[in-house]
Amino acid sequence: MKVDTQMEVQSEAIVRFDNVVKRFGSFVAVKKADFEIGRGEFLAIMGSSGCGKTTTLRMLAGLEDPSEGAIYLDGEKVNGKATWDRDTPMVWQSLALFPFLTVQENVEFALKMRGVGKEERRRRAEKWLEKMQITEFASRNINQLSGGQKQRVALARALVTEPKILLLDEPLSALDAHLKVRMQAVLSNLQKDLGITFVYVTHSMSEAFSMADRVVIMSRGQIEQIGTPEEIYREPYNRFVAEFLGSANIFDGTVAGPSGADGWRVTFDGGETVLPKAELPDASAGQAVTFIVSAENMQLSRPDAGQDGIAATIAGEEFIGGTAMLFLETDTGQELKVQKSHDELALLNRQAGAKLVVHWAAEHCHILPGENK
Amino acid sequence: MTKRPTFFSLILSLPLLIWQLTFFLFPLLFLVAISFWTVRNFQMTPDLNFGNWERVLSRGVFWDAYLRTFILATAAAAITSAIAFPASYAISFKMSEKAKRWMIFILIIPFFTSYLVRVYSLQVFLSDAGIINAAFAYIGLGPFSMLNNAFGVIVGMVTLTLPLVILLQTFSLNFVNRDLIEAAHNLRCGRLRTVFAVIAPSAKVGLVIAALFSFILSFGDFVSPLYLGGGNPPTLSIMITDFTKSGQQWPRAAVVAIMMIATLLTTAFAAITYAYKERGK
Amino acid sequence: MGNENRIINGLLKLHIVLCLLFIFAPIAGSFVFSLNSDRFPSLPLGTFSTDWYRAIWEDPLVWQGFGNTLIVGLTVAVIATLLGFGGAYTDFRYNFTGKSIYVALALLPPTIPVVIMGLAMLAFLSRINLSGTTISVIIAHGVMCAPFAMAIIRLRLSQMDPDLEAASWNMGGNQWQTLRYVIIPFAKPAIFAALFITMAVSFDEFAVAWFVSGLNETLPVKILGFLQGQVSPRINAIGSLAFLSSMTLIILAQLLLRSPEDQKK
Repeated sequence: MKVDTQMEVQSEAIVRFDNVVKRFGSFVAVKKADFEIGRGEFLAIMGSSGCGKTTTLRMLAGLEDPSEGAIYLDGEKVNGKATWDRDTPMVWQSLALFPFLTVQENVEFALKMRGVGKEERRRRAEKWLEKMQITEFASRNINQLSGGQKQRVALARALVTEPKILLLDEPLSALDAHLKVRMQAVLSNLQKDLGITFVYVTHSMSEAFSMADRVVIMSRGQIEQIGTPEEIYREPYNRFVAEFLGSANIFDGTVAGPSGADGWRVTFDGGETVLPKAELPDASAGQAVTFIVSAENMQLSRPDAGQDGIAATIAGEEFIGGTAMLFLETDTGQELKVQKSHDELALLNRQAGAKLVVHWAAEHCHILPGENK
Repeated sequence: MTKRPTFFSLILSLPLLIWQLTFFLFPLLFLVAISFWTVRNFQMTPDLNFGNWERVLSRGVFWDAYLRTFILATAAAAITSAIAFPASYAISFKMSEKAKRWMIFILIIPFFTSYLVRVYSLQVFLSDAGIINAAFAYIGLGPFSMLNNAFGVIVGMVTLTLPLVILLQTFSLNFVNRDLIEAAHNLRCGRLRTVFAVIAPSAKVGLVIAALFSFILSFGDFVSPLYLGGGNPPTLSIMITDFTKSGQQWPRAAVVAIMMIATLLTTAFAAITYAYKERGK
Repeated sequence: MGNENRIINGLLKLHIVLCLLFIFAPIAGSFVFSLNSDRFPSLPLGTFSTDWYRAIWEDPLVWQGFGNTLIVGLTVAVIATLLGFGGAYTDFRYNFTGKSIYVALALLPPTIPVVIMGLAMLAFLSRINLSGTTISVIIAHGVMCAPFAMAIIRLRLSQMDPDLEAASWNMGGNQWQTLRYVIIPFAKPAIFAALFITMAVSFDEFAVAWFVSGLNETLPVKILGFLQGQVSPRINAIGSLAFLSSMTLIILAQLLLRSPEDQKK
């Protein structure tokens, strides 16, 4: 597996996945996962459902055993070690709060399992109830709480043993949008305050990119890229990541020859462009190359403006807050996405079927390293 | 999580397994064994004697009883299903959720009354000088003979299985997609035709299984045939009790019992295969 | 729906009423007859009388049978619920080859005719010198009742978020602690319901007991004795009392099973 490993792990690793494979029967849920998680790092594992992200987390928690490879936790190989012998508390997607216990009893649970005495249990639970600002609900039943309050109980319950690492499995997926944003802030601050490692599984790019120090992108059991949100956004490693991010136009082209001192002339179906040499130091004519141009870096012109570019027809438009995404189709059938402010778009004829010219500056072309080997 | 059974998992799963093997499966297998034993001077001795099978299966009395039991149970299953369906339909489609829950609770009550007591009570209702005939006499009818005949037996079997069949039918009708019915109406399928062309086929599995349960319970019932049917001519279950009481003919009783189980298994298998058969290839 | 038909709905309601009448007439009849002076009641009914209750009150055999029924019922309830809990948890939690056979073996007994079960049990238990004892009745009832307990508890477990158990392991509870502090508290209402319902089933399972038990008769066996000998209306009185006690158990079970989450403040 090729993973972009140029990013250095921030500090000494607390978790190491050493070529971990997980099979369920003949189905391979995780293929050769090989990465480290730094101490105090906020790592998000992102992917669509069934990509193996939850299985990866569950292996770390000890709820699944790897079929191959080894997992090291704090330097110790933990394969085969039962989850109840690890200190890897998890916040569940379903929250998994015990409905037959009160809020306080839920928070005390992990301490009770560890044989902590009644008095100390109460004291430590109260500290976390206070920290999560749910003291007033201590004697309530779980079913009487709102979604956000339950979330805080789940966090307090997981953190009460003061672990070095906290695992979170899509904990915010049940919340509505504005609560989600608030809980993201709570989680971010909490992680910084405590200084412990968070491993956060999610299918939401906005959650992963807004909270995490580094993001792992998985698809069909494979790790596609690991990096900071900026790295991934600016330089997606391969076609999958670029498509997953959703905002990049992907072109399959051929190097036609040099273009000036620091560029390559690249032709593709329906047009041609210049690719900076910084992106592709060595190339020969005829070589295939896959590159992207981000939707917000695309420019639009009227057909009569005399601008060189690709002629395309408007197919549709999607409203995205202060901007809009315009979907166009070239004469050769390639789909293009262009993201522009409403003001800018208002100057153009945007009826479906209208013709426009799409163009971009050479510096906005990035190659996909994973596709050009 | 782990593949090999843990001590924990064995402690939980084994007791039931051992109990049912020892006290359920093993006695049934033992029954098969004693069907080959011999009885001499009212004593059973282990043997490999096919005489019991030969004697029972070659006698017309057995096959008469077999046929009678089978027909009675089939009739009871058919009649019970027919009576139950309109009731289940009404409960499932016409009642509010709250009323449904109450109906279900009411229909569970009979399971906790003694069947025997109910049958005894039915005797009082059905006998020649009983309550129903007395009521008929007021309007100058009867008396009708309702006891010690097939009618009495069927009444008893329907009493036994009607609540269960209504419950099972109701549960399966509850799962019928309501949109299908409106779609049928929308396609100009009349109300009654919708019931038979859309609802009944959609709930087929549940309806067949309900009828199967009615058959199983009626086929093995010995209280109704004895106390409402008069016990003569006998059904298979009465035959079993007769064999055991007279002359310790346990091996023969075992033969009858095995024949009954074989019949029940075959019927159940056929019914379930039919219930789950999909249309089309 | 705009296409309801009053007449059809009326007929359907009438049909339900008739079905209920048919189902409950014998049960209600038994109550009425138990308070009736006639030996063999007919229309018009005889006078009100508590003679039949007095008769059973004064019969030491009935008391003995009642005592046996109670002991058997309690023991069976505990055994069947323990076995059923293990089976239900096994089915809920584990996947293994032959699991369908395990489940079938666990749930099959109620579909075997009681006459046959009784015959097989008696043949087997007399072979190991257990027939005629109270233990033999308990064993037979245990076989018949365990499936009910298993079904009730299994149903409750299926309402449990499977993450609850994993969450408990994850927080340091080993399998035993998790069983003790998560599974059992969650299944508690169903466990009690299973106790009550298996006890009620045991009260009612006369036929197996009839075959299996000798002198140590339980109450249903006694009922059968009455029926075989001279038919005595005392059966109505006994049946009515047994029904009332069964119903008490069922209503208790029902109350327990009703949304247990709401009961806590």
